[in-house]
Amino acid sequence: MKNQSAVIFRIFLYGILIAPLVLFMLYAFSERWFFPAPFPTAWTTNIVTRMLNDPRTTSGLFISIGIAMLVSFLSLLIGFPAARTLGSRVFRGRQIAWLIFFLPTVVPPLAVGMGLNILFLRLGWSGTLFGVILAHLVPTLPYTIFTLSGVFSRYDENYEHQALVLGSSRLRIFFTVTLRLVFPGLIVAGLFAFLISWSQYLLTLLIGGGKILTLPMLLFSAVSGGNPTSIAALSLLFVAPPVIIIAASARFLVQHGNTIREQY
Amino acid sequence: MKKIIAFLILFTVLLSACNVAGNNTQTSPTTYDINDWDSVVAAAKGQTVNWYLWGGSESINNYVDSFYGKALKERYDITLNRVPVADTVDAVNQVLSEKQAGKDPGVVDLIWINGENFATLKQANLLLPAWADKLPNSRLVNWDNPAINRDFGTPVDFQESPWSSAQFQLIYDSARMQPEDLPRSYAELKDWVVENPGRFTYIAPGPGGFQGTRFAKGALYEFSGNVEQWGNFDQAIWDEYSPLLWDYFNDIKPYLWRQGETYPKDENELHSLFANQEVDFSITQAIVGAGALIEQGLVPETARAFVFDNYMIGDFNYVGIPLNAPSKAAALVLANLLLDPEFQAAQVLPENGFGLGFGIDINRVTDSAELTKLQEASQKLGDAATPPSDLAKALVGDTAAEYQSLVEEGWRQFVLLAQ
Repeated sequence: MKNQSAVIFRIFLYGILIAPLVLFMLYAFSERWFFPAPFPTAWTTNIVTRMLNDPRTTSGLFISIGIAMLVSFLSLLIGFPAARTLGSRVFRGRQIAWLIFFLPTVVPPLAVGMGLNILFLRLGWSGTLFGVILAHLVPTLPYTIFTLSGVFSRYDENYEHQALVLGSSRLRIFFTVTLRLVFPGLIVAGLFAFLISWSQYLLTLLIGGGKILTLPMLLFSAVSGGNPTSIAALSLLFVAPPVIIIAASARFLVQHGNTIREQY
Repeated sequence: MKKIIAFLILFTVLLSACNVAGNNTQTSPTTYDINDWDSVVAAAKGQTVNWYLWGGSESINNYVDSFYGKALKERYDITLNRVPVADTVDAVNQVLSEKQAGKDPGVVDLIWINGENFATLKQANLLLPAWADKLPNSRLVNWDNPAINRDFGTPVDFQESPWSSAQFQLIYDSARMQPEDLPRSYAELKDWVVENPGRFTYIAPGPGGFQGTRFAKGALYEFSGNVEQWGNFDQAIWDEYSPLLWDYFNDIKPYLWRQGETYPKDENELHSLFANQEVDFSITQAIVGAGALIEQGLVPETARAFVFDNYMIGDFNYVGIPLNAPSKAAALVLANLLLDPEFQAAQVLPENGFGLGFGIDINRVTDSAELTKLQEASQKLGDAATPPSDLAKALVGDTAAEYQSLVEEGWRQFVLLAQ
């Protein structure tokens, strides 16, 4: 009985997760699907074909992927030392450091964006890819630091000391001990950064000034265009990379998670 | 791991390199003489023209890229960079803020413009003066027509060049209603709305909702019964007739979709309500009526356009060149291309997705092959278009530009927010 309801709950959960995607699939290939027709009455592949052949879409896709990858890499690079210190050391002013790192998640992004835009305009960074990447670091860094510091609070530094005693160089210890141990955490933190950067609209618009056309910008303009087929087609394209990345890394994470747990 | 890091670093370097390269391709201003068209074409060669235009319609975007973008590249070696804006006022603000910052050259080469946006830029002396009559295809434009040489009452003074024409129309679904049941005046519409509560709404007059403003102005014409007097701004006339307008809208308000608590903010929202049978009428400005919308899949195939018997406002829309445009020569070539009979014929056909009317006077076209093409195109507007004779009978010009914001602000204050 208990098992049965668990199964039903599980199906229900999957249903909720998959339903929007199914709807997008239906809309992306349907033509003039209006109320009160329960199912599409005519099918078309024109919009999807046109979208895939549109250089704007492909360049938007690659720019988005490029920005999100760079942002996740940079936020790991910057977040790593901060997270390690905050996660494994107790020191005066730790709370204040936490507060400063978390401010961007509390302050509305519009305020941050407007302020940054004025600063970047003076520095000549607005409208550039560099500026957009820097701006994306603002909302991504807190999440990277938070995730990684959790990893470091459970991290046993004695492994490093042991390697040091055995005569390893600092660099070698970093790559063979530290990185290996926190690797699953790194992946999760990187994933967070990727997803947050991937879905940025406001900051890209403010800092990019319409010159940096990412996928969310194209999606917003399609939504204002009001054609449900185009909106659905672009949405599918927008959803695809994160889903693929999560699917690929989830399997990987579960395996690593198990091995880590076995160690303790 | 090292490989991934190395790859990412390489990627960073490459991306920033692209960025630097992208900044360097800014075209340097080349000299030309506006009276010597060959020198304009020569100066435009290799330039990129940044055309700022309303990007809310995917079929228009597609038409612009595939027709003008292709022709510019192949015939003139000009790259078209279509910059979609949510509202033309965004492009106007860009030019204004460039002026404030003293930025010359700026980024905008050409703007699809008319009405109060044109008036704003002209008043601020931010438009390239006296060029539109120098275009070779300008001979096809009937500059003596007051609907062309004045834009919302503002003298054009050749600071913008026409592209196409539009006229306010309504759309109904022939599967739901018969032509003889359609209202044919604002008074009849009021009766219809009261008899069919919840089945009508209009676009909120305001920025981005200029079709709603136009709908309101048509009502002003009907109440005053005199179109001429609205051509110049007169506060007394406004004070006399605007209360009638607010009364009209407030009278129908309780019978509107959602009791008039909210209104669609643009054409696309109204099309969606109409297509999903929440309301029975939509609004369009296209000469092909519902044709282009059917092609786009935004409305049912049975949608048809119609007009009232009178006071259906029509006008021309134009392109303007900012004074600080970086590629003026290329913008001039594009403005000339827009008037080319070949493209004028293409723009009215519903299957091409633009669907607005001619900007030129086809009686001025002397080449018989071109003339035939234009005449054929005007015969192929499709079943979803309003009959041309109905359009012509109801055609009136727009009001002076000053009424635009008065209607929009007044509607907000006295209709939307009224208790």
